[in-house]
Amino acid sequence: MHDWHQGDHMPQHTAIDVERLVKRFGTFAAVDGLDLTVRAGEVHGFLGPNGAGKSTTIRVLLGLYRATAGRVRVLGIDPAVRAAEINRRISYVPGEVNLWPNLTGQEVLDALAGMRGSRDAAAERRLVADFALDTRKVVRTYSKGNRQKVILVAAFAARTELLVLDEPTSGLDPLMEELFRRCVREAAVEGRTVLLSSHILAEVEQLCAAVTIIKDGRLVESGRLADMRHLAASEVTARLPEDRVADVADRLRSIGVTDPAPADRDLHISVLRQHIPAVLSLLVEADAQDITCTPAKLESLFLRHYQVTPC
Amino acid sequence: MLILLRLMLHRHRVLITSWLVLLVAVTGATVSAYQSTYPTAEQRRTATDLAQHSAATTLMYGNLADPGTPALMFTWEIGAIATILAAIMAVLVAISLTRAAEDDGTLELVRTTGIDARVPLRCALLMLAGVAATLALGCTGGLGLAAGHVDAVTWPGAAAFGTVVGLTFLIVGMVTVVLAQVAATAGSARLLGFAVVGAAFGIRALADTRHVGWLNWLTPLGLRATVRPFAENRWWPLATYLVVVAALAWFAAFLAGRREYGAGLIRRRDSRSTRLNIRSSLGLTARLARRPVLTWTVGVACLGTLFSAMGSGVVHQSQQGDLGGFLGSQLGGGNPVAGYFGYCGTVVGMAVTAFAVLSVLRARQDELGGLTDHILATGARRWKPLASQVAVTAVGTLIILVVTGALSALIAPTVINGPDVAIRAFTYTIGQWPSAMVAAGWTALLIGLWPRLTGLAWLPLIAGGLLALLGQLLGIPQSVRDLGVFQHVPDVAAPGPDARGLLILLTVAGATLLLGLAGITRRNITTD
Repeated sequence: MHDWHQGDHMPQHTAIDVERLVKRFGTFAAVDGLDLTVRAGEVHGFLGPNGAGKSTTIRVLLGLYRATAGRVRVLGIDPAVRAAEINRRISYVPGEVNLWPNLTGQEVLDALAGMRGSRDAAAERRLVADFALDTRKVVRTYSKGNRQKVILVAAFAARTELLVLDEPTSGLDPLMEELFRRCVREAAVEGRTVLLSSHILAEVEQLCAAVTIIKDGRLVESGRLADMRHLAASEVTARLPEDRVADVADRLRSIGVTDPAPADRDLHISVLRQHIPAVLSLLVEADAQDITCTPAKLESLFLRHYQVTPC
Repeated sequence: MLILLRLMLHRHRVLITSWLVLLVAVTGATVSAYQSTYPTAEQRRTATDLAQHSAATTLMYGNLADPGTPALMFTWEIGAIATILAAIMAVLVAISLTRAAEDDGTLELVRTTGIDARVPLRCALLMLAGVAATLALGCTGGLGLAAGHVDAVTWPGAAAFGTVVGLTFLIVGMVTVVLAQVAATAGSARLLGFAVVGAAFGIRALADTRHVGWLNWLTPLGLRATVRPFAENRWWPLATYLVVVAALAWFAAFLAGRREYGAGLIRRRDSRSTRLNIRSSLGLTARLARRPVLTWTVGVACLGTLFSAMGSGVVHQSQQGDLGGFLGSQLGGGNPVAGYFGYCGTVVGMAVTAFAVLSVLRARQDELGGLTDHILATGARRWKPLASQVAVTAVGTLIILVVTGALSALIAPTVINGPDVAIRAFTYTIGQWPSAMVAAGWTALLIGLWPRLTGLAWLPLIAGGLLALLGQLLGIPQSVRDLGVFQHVPDVAAPGPDARGLLILLTVAGATLLLGLAGITRRNITTD
C-alpha cells in the first residue's frame, strides 16, 4: 500500500495555501491577488474560462514560474525556494502533453519513474491495462489522447500525495474520461489531494467537493459545492391544470418567485433554494403533473459569474 | 497560393536571410583580397603553377584555370567554399519548407483551409526558385561591383559566377525535396541531403584529381568547371541544368502524390519493447543524445580524415616554398605539418562547435515544448536539465573529437611525410574541445539569461570561423583574430607548447555555463 503520509513529512491540513498571489508578465497581470486554499485529502475543482490564470497559478505552485507577489505554500513549502522537494511529492499533468518523440511509451514511463526515484510498478501495469495503452509504440505515433494517457498513468502510478491536473481530459474519449474519474476517486479514497483545473463543468461537478472559480486572475467564488448551491436556483417544471394557471401565477408571486410568467399550462421557473418547499407544496396542492425539481448545475453558477452582461 | 508563399517567407525569413547575407558577404568581401595578395603577374604565375600541380588543393577546390587571374583564383577558392555553403543552405531550407512543416504539424493547419493538397509543395518549389534567383543576383551584384577594381572581374563573369552559386542551391534544393518525399522523417531527409552534398563533393574531387572532366557534369558542385565563370562564361550548361531542375521538381511532385501525409515512402519501425533504466535527468539526456552523437561522430570523422588524408600535397608544397591565397593564409608560417593539421583542426572544430550549439539549444527547445516541465515535475532541480544537456554535449563533443583524432592519426602518417604526424593529427583535433565548450557555455548563458536571444548562440562559431578562415586574407590584425575561438591549439611537438589560450577558453566556457545555470534558476520556465 501507499505510505506517503509516513516518514519525514507530516500530513498537512492544507495542501495548497495561496494568499494574494500576483503574477505579472511585463505590465500584464495574469494572476492578480488570487486566494486559493485546498485542504489535504479533498478533490478541489479549479474553474475558470480560458485565460483566467489557471495554468499560470498552477505553474507558480510547481515552481515553474516565480510569483511576483503573494504568499504560496504547497504541502507547507514555498515553491520559490524548494520547488524540487514539492515536485517529488506531486504528480503534474499538463493540458497539452508533448513527450520525447523517439522514446516508446514504456520508456517514457521508465524515465519519469526513474527520475522521481520511486515507483509503484503494479499500479502502473494496472493503469496501462485500464487505459488500453500500447506502451511499446514510439511516442511520435501517439495521438494527443495517447500522449495524455502516458502522463496520466505516470501521475496516478507515482507515489505522490498531491495531484495537480491542468485540464487533463481534453484529448480523452468519453470511455477514458469515465476511467479518469474513477482514478481520481480512487486517489481520493487513498487520501491523496487533487487539484483539478477544468472548464468541463460536469467533470468538476461529479468529482469535486469544493471549487474555486476565478476570472481575469481574480477569485470570483470559492467554497464547498454543496454550500454554493444555496446561492443558485433550482429549476422547477410542472404541467398545470388549465383552470389553475392564473391562480398559481398569483400565488407564486406572493411567495417571492419573480417573473413566473406561466402564460400557458407548462410551468418552467427558477426557484431559490429557500422557496422550494413552498413552491412544491403549492404545485402539489394545485394538482400539477410531471413535477420536476433539478438542483442547480455548475453550468448556471458558471454562467452567472462569467456571462458578459450587455450594457 | 500567394498567401501561402508569403506565410512561408515570413516563417523562414531569418533562416533564409542570414544564409543569403553570409553567402553574398563571402563572395563580395573576399574578391579584392586576391588583387592585393598577388599584385604582380609574376606572383600570380607562381601561385597558379603551385595550385595547378597540387593534388590537395585540386581535391579541395578543383582545377585552377589559366591564366590564373585574381577573378579565376577567386572562382577557384572562394567559389568552392561558396558553392558548398550554398549546397548546405539548400538542404536546410528545402527541408524547412517541406517535411519539417509536415512533421511539426503546421502544414496540416494550412491544408485544412481547403487548399489543393499539391499547392504547398508547389509553393515550396517556387520559394526555392525565388531564393536561388535572389542568391544569384546577390552574388552577381557583390562580385560585379569589383569590376574595374580587380583584374579580369567583369559583369558577365560575375553573372555567370552568381548563377553558378544560385543554380547549385537550386539543384541541391530540388534533390533534397525529392529525398524529403522518400525519407521517413524530416531529420533523416536532412541527413540524406547532407550525404548527397558529401557525395557531390566526392564526385567533383574525383573528376578534378583524376582528370575525368565529364564526371563534373554529374555533380552540382562541379558547375564551376562546366560553366567556367570569368573564362568562357558558358551559358548553355546552365540551361541544361534548368531542365534537370524542372525534371526533379516534377519527380518530387510525382512522389508526393504516392506517399502518405507526414510519412515518407520508406516506412520506419514504430514498435519495440525495450526498457529504460535511468535514475536522473542526466541519464535521460544521455539516452536521447545517443543517436545525434553517433551521426555526428560518423560525419565529422569522415570529414576530418578526408582533410588529413589529402594533406600530402599541401605539406610537401609548403615544405618546398610558399603557398598563397586562402590555403596559404590558413597554414601561415612555421612547421608545415603543424600548420596543415592546425587548419584541419579548425575545420573539425567548426563542425563540432555546430554540434555543441545545436545540442545545447535542445534544452531551450525542450523547455518550449513542455518536456522540461515533465523533468522538473519529477523533483529535479531547476538547473539540472540545462546542466545535463551541457554535460552530455561536452562528453559527446569529446567522443566526436577523440574518434576523429584517432582516425586521422591512423591515416595521416601513411600519406604525409614529416615529423610527429600522428601526434599532431590527434592533438590538433582534440585541442578543439575547449572552443566547442565556449560555444556550449555561451549558448547555456543565453538560455539562462536571455532565452529570447538564443539565435545569438551561433555567434562564436560564425565569428570564430570567419576570423580563422578569412581573417588573414582580409588583413584583420592578429589581436582581433585571437578573439576567435578556433586558433588557440598549440603545437605539442614544438618545444614549450603554450596552452594558455585553451585554459582561457575553458575558463570562459565554465564562467558562461555557471551564469547560465544561475540565470535559469531565477527565471520563469516557459512553454509556447
